[in-house]
Amino acid sequence: MLIRARPLLGTLVEIRAAGGNAASVSRAITAAFDVIAEVHRLMSFHEPDSDVSRLNRLAHREAVQVDAQTWEVLACALELSRGSGGLFDCAIAPRLVRLGYLPRTPGVESGVDASSAHIELLAGHRVRFLKPLAIDLGGIAKGYAVDQAIRRLQNHGIGTACVNAGGDLRVLGDRNWPVLIRLPAAPRRAFLPVTIRQQALATTAHYFTARVENDRVVTPLIDPRTGRCRTENHNVSVAAPSCMLADALTKVVWLSGDAWHPLLARHRARAIVLPGEREGGCAGAA
Amino acid sequence: MRAELLIPAGFIVLVAPARAVTYLSVEQAQQAIFPGAKFTPDFRKLTDAEVARIEKESDTTAYSREVKCWKVDAGGWFIVDEVIGKHEFITYAVGLDAGGAVQGIEIMDYRETHGGEIRQPSWRAQFHGRKHGEALKLEDDIQNISGATLSCKHVTDGVRRLLTFYDLVLKGR
Repeated sequence: MLIRARPLLGTLVEIRAAGGNAASVSRAITAAFDVIAEVHRLMSFHEPDSDVSRLNRLAHREAVQVDAQTWEVLACALELSRGSGGLFDCAIAPRLVRLGYLPRTPGVESGVDASSAHIELLAGHRVRFLKPLAIDLGGIAKGYAVDQAIRRLQNHGIGTACVNAGGDLRVLGDRNWPVLIRLPAAPRRAFLPVTIRQQALATTAHYFTARVENDRVVTPLIDPRTGRCRTENHNVSVAAPSCMLADALTKVVWLSGDAWHPLLARHRARAIVLPGEREGGCAGAA
Repeated sequence: MRAELLIPAGFIVLVAPARAVTYLSVEQAQQAIFPGAKFTPDFRKLTDAEVARIEKESDTTAYSREVKCWKVDAGGWFIVDEVIGKHEFITYAVGLDAGGAVQGIEIMDYRETHGGEIRQPSWRAQFHGRKHGEALKLEDDIQNISGATLSCKHVTDGVRRLLTFYDLVLKGR
């Protein structure tokens, strides 16, 4: 088993793979990292030339053509948005900018009243915004990148692999993979061990991203129904056939608090909700 | 196929030791970024003035006065560096092509603690000069962790510092 890691998608991406000699496995891992870097290049909010940045700048004025991969992720995001009654919404970027979780970008703050219902997908991989808005695919593209990396590893003849992008992961191969889920009460010390096989597992919580501002806890988990961030300390993990679905569905379950949300069954997914408790007097970790 | 999550009986909560993973040795990282190339060590000791200038221009902290560089035979540089986060200590390698552009970044070693020891030189010293090369073994005991994202900001900052170091010290050599 060869294990490598690179900083991508704003996190550490770890790929472990086996099947063949070390040199060919290493080449396959490099190819899989390249696929992830490509998704990063297309869908990063931070890169000014990404499809996402071009859409945020231009799509409220004219239809913008994007890569087929960006299109695929957007189509899935819009479907999940409709299916969840708007709980999953990739148009919350302006709120994340306001809270300091995304960098300030000219024009982006104007879209706070829009939602992904104002995004229109047109023929020829073109996209149009019906009013000024800004999207961030951070809640779904990481999972998509993991899926694409797994596909590339398979194309290179890899039979056993795990791609883990900052805790959103997918496994491949005829074996059980042990995975530790961080417990929100003590995320660096205590874990729930689970086992997955031929599927993806993603987790959403805010124990590493929450901070205290003017005596108020701030998190990047925005409730699109109110436009405000939510501060409960629970941890949601979703197992699904693809990491894109697992990644996005964690947000639906986290916000709804419903481990049996009907969208899960529709996408053959299951959720674990771990209740949170505050860790001894540390408000920043809450 | 419906996704299945198998939870072991009894809902075990594991109190795990701090996570530590060795990914690549120096040689493995060199070959991952510059396959087939040859490397000549050319370590640099920075002066106080150079450290101050690099920190100022890159807006980062340099943890070491010595920069571990190797010259690549086909052109370019291979540099090994370390960054310290609040809870993590990361050793990583950067490959720069002949024009000084980033050719590749590989994480070599990742250590996480739940205490405050990461900023103590004595805690970090135990990993220096350690024999690498164990990364190719099947390590079933190293488990995957699913949890909220750890930022790679410190590595990004480190790369920016090394690019500044390249501009000031290595460029044109």
